[in-house]
Amino acid sequence: MTREEVYERLNQVFRDVFDDESITVKDETTADDIEDWDSFEHINLAVAVEEEFSFKIPMGKVVTMKNVGEMVDIILEMGK
Amino acid sequence: MTVTSFSFFLLLLAGVILYYISPKKVQWIILLCVSLIFYFFAATPYTIIYLVLSTLLVYIAGLIVDCEINEKCRKGTAFGFVAASIFFNIMIWFVLKGTALWGWAFQIFHRVIPAIDMPQFQLAAALGMGYYTAQAIGYIMDVYWGVNKPEKNPLKLFLFLSFFLQLTVGPISKYSQLQCLYEKHMFRYKNLCFGTQRIVWGLFKKLVVSERIAVIVNAVWADTEVFSGIWPWIAVFLYPIEIYADFSGCVDIVLGSAELFDITMPENFNNPFFSRTNQEFWQRWHITLGVWAKDYVYYPILKSKPMIRVGKWSKKHFSKRIAKFIPWSVGMGALWFVMGAWHGSLRHIIGVSAWYWIILVMSELLLPVIDWLVEKLQIDRNVFSWKLLQCCRTYAIFSIGCVFFVSSGVHNAIDRFKLLFHALGNLNVWTLFDETILNTGVTWMDINIIIIGIIMMLIVARLRENHTYARCWIAKQILPFRWGIWFVLLGIVLIYGYYGPGYDASQFIYQGF
Repeated sequence: MTREEVYERLNQVFRDVFDDESITVKDETTADDIEDWDSFEHINLAVAVEEEFSFKIPMGKVVTMKNVGEMVDIILEMGK
Repeated sequence: MTVTSFSFFLLLLAGVILYYISPKKVQWIILLCVSLIFYFFAATPYTIIYLVLSTLLVYIAGLIVDCEINEKCRKGTAFGFVAASIFFNIMIWFVLKGTALWGWAFQIFHRVIPAIDMPQFQLAAALGMGYYTAQAIGYIMDVYWGVNKPEKNPLKLFLFLSFFLQLTVGPISKYSQLQCLYEKHMFRYKNLCFGTQRIVWGLFKKLVVSERIAVIVNAVWADTEVFSGIWPWIAVFLYPIEIYADFSGCVDIVLGSAELFDITMPENFNNPFFSRTNQEFWQRWHITLGVWAKDYVYYPILKSKPMIRVGKWSKKHFSKRIAKFIPWSVGMGALWFVMGAWHGSLRHIIGVSAWYWIILVMSELLLPVIDWLVEKLQIDRNVFSWKLLQCCRTYAIFSIGCVFFVSSGVHNAIDRFKLLFHALGNLNVWTLFDETILNTGVTWMDINIIIIGIIMMLIVARLRENHTYARCWIAKQILPFRWGIWFVLLGIVLIYGYYGPGYDASQFIYQGF
């Protein structure tokens, strides 16, 4: 899976979780850039990513990931 | 030995000198020695055994986790050891520090079954037990989650938990945040200046502002016959400033002292009184406790299978909003319960946990109504007056929660609320303008100092909101100006600081945890 393919699916996950079709994420996107991205939605997002990519994100990664770039790195790492 | 005492500053000075003249690779051992000396003077010496025990518990569990990662051990062993180390750490804290909680539990048992009575023994708790127990739990959880590798050197782990500066009022650091404890540090003049300046600012907040406000607040609650009408309300709304100046002042001294050793510890406050919502307030107040509870309580609960199932079920049968509300309110309930219980008494569980949980849940439920009202009344959410109103509402909610905090027990808190309610009928605001306030024990000079102190704290906070740090701004000024500011501040602390016997200030409010 390429980084571009991950972003394509990840954008859809973000749009579903935040109910906003205009969302397009990039490496630098953080919780500050999306209004509803609070601690609750952070977990919601992690669960939605797990379902989309069919693997479990370790809790340590959920707690420490700071931006979408890190999330994509985790997806690529777990998807190997 | 408090962090405002003369003996503390002597120990700090000796520690800093020894730290920089020693070989770099033994600097962490100097910190460990200073921490032990501080502990023996500040606490009941034998209680260090509890700290050693907590360290050993998480140290062994950490090694087992590492062993399993390297596939040298049987799978599943690590989880058992991690769970056991957390359980025993909590039990040690609960037996020694949560006496009010289990005393209350025994009272209930005693009423149901009179044969069960509370055991009569009193053990001294370790210094900073709430802080180091939280750090120990955080450490082992992070090792288990793979956030960091376990520490192989037990003495280094012991330093992480016993570091003397954090034992008084925290902050609650993560292991990854305090790696600087083991690094080699060069002496830097900037650290000396910035560290000392922050210590002086902390002393100012604690000794000049907080201690003076405490005189008024304590006097009002001590005699509500004399200080009736509006005065109990004045005490309610003054207390948050007192506790903020006290707690954040102490944190300034701690973080400033750490800076002298070239050690950066996490911040505990970020201008909480500028918060427009309750959620925002708790992201700015006692930040490290909030982050700890979020990472190790709230997140694991929300990500647990039952919660995910509840969320999905609610989404299918109700709406997306309800699917969010149910797991969120359960997670928040657990988070607030832990935050309240950490303080170690029933009144904290009610005052901190129940009060804020109810407020947050109500805020979430009423959000659509408020949004509708704001839209109908065509209120611009970006105007200053609306933001100010939101800040005042957040402050008022915190002030009322503090009534539990400042009370001696739940019954006492209820009595105070009754008094406050009755006072509303006869506020008698004119007593604000006569000399009633002087009966609290303060002078007009003290009142002026309090007002000037609050204005100074507001200016510094306002600068920080605009990402300008007062210290950095002062550091850019010409030498006579910047030295003038700091010497005047130091002079104010020395002349107008409230000192106790032997020039030792009274205890910090958060020192008890």
